[in-house]
Amino acid sequence: MKTNGQHDEPSRKWLRKMAELEDRSGSVLVGGLAQDLGMLPGRAADRPRVLGRFVEFARRTRGLSVERLAEEAEVDLAELVAIERDSERQPDPRTIYQLAIVLRVSSGKLLELSGLAEPRDQELDEAALRFAARSEPSAKLSSAEQNAFEEFVKVLVESSDED
Amino acid sequence: MSERRVELIRREDNAFVEATMLDGLAPEDLLLIERVWGPQRLRLLEKLLRRGVPRKERPESLHWDWGLKSGELRLLEAKGFGVICQDEWQGAMLVRTASHFTQLEEDKGKPLVYGDYIEAAPWNWRVKVLGQESRFMGVGSILFREAVLESIREGFHGRLGLHALPQAESFYETAGMTRIGQDPDKQDLVYFEFTREQAQRFLGDGGAV
Repeated sequence: MKTNGQHDEPSRKWLRKMAELEDRSGSVLVGGLAQDLGMLPGRAADRPRVLGRFVEFARRTRGLSVERLAEEAEVDLAELVAIERDSERQPDPRTIYQLAIVLRVSSGKLLELSGLAEPRDQELDEAALRFAARSEPSAKLSSAEQNAFEEFVKVLVESSDED
Repeated sequence: MSERRVELIRREDNAFVEATMLDGLAPEDLLLIERVWGPQRLRLLEKLLRRGVPRKERPESLHWDWGLKSGELRLLEAKGFGVICQDEWQGAMLVRTASHFTQLEEDKGKPLVYGDYIEAAPWNWRVKVLGQESRFMGVGSILFREAVLESIREGFHGRLGLHALPQAESFYETAGMTRIGQDPDKQDLVYFEFTREQAQRFLGDGGAV
């Protein structure tokens, strides 16, 4: 079947109107294929919010107060508190980077956990899930939690050379 | 491969400029396009990372790389379109014309054209945080229009379905498509459809804008 012809060539008025709409929206991306081929980032909602819990556990394992860790990592105290509470606010990349140095884990992986870098490491996702499932926020570290924490740290440290 | 003359708007002087709509691209032609677009994506990514721009505010296809998907693209049964202007690929689209069916109650179960992929060249993205404006305006619109025309050519009366990326939802909604809802099979991308009436309205006056 042929088109009836009258619509094949859009009027300039049409193009102008649609171009303005495109401008306002800022994007025309259609992503069914990209999703099929695994090119979309993982959904943030699917990832357990473990960054705060991890930072808190790591800090307590080292016997540090929040204040002391903020000092050592040279990061803003309020931001560190927000991170430990897993607040909705996205942390500053520099803060995560500094924390990674002090906590001696891969900055790339910590950035992934914080949602600042594209999630690409399935092993990390799984490790985070295990850690989240086996630890309680703000509780005293039980030995089971301690084990869960140590296992998680292993994954966070591994291949940090690649980052 | 056939080609038709279309127009785009050049932002620099707000003038209508001649462009070519190529019909008959194979999916693997995206690999050729990626050779030009890929380095541009990287340049933008570097700039955005240097500024510490969070992911939500970055263009959503910044990390796409068709070069890595060559095998899968070769097997894909999709039909491709591209817009060329001033010797460069300004945008590309893939559609499927078989085995996709209308979900809307009206015409439910009838075949439609499924838009698998629409993207403008990285220099046509509007990246507000970097102050980047698109070089040409209307690239996405002219491709989207071509998908509707393809549906008419296939005898589907303009019926069209597609999954929009979050940043593009407002475009397709304002263009008059019906928002069916988040699709759990597609990582919750929102699925949109055009009925034949909506498609006609869109071709005529740009839909519900």
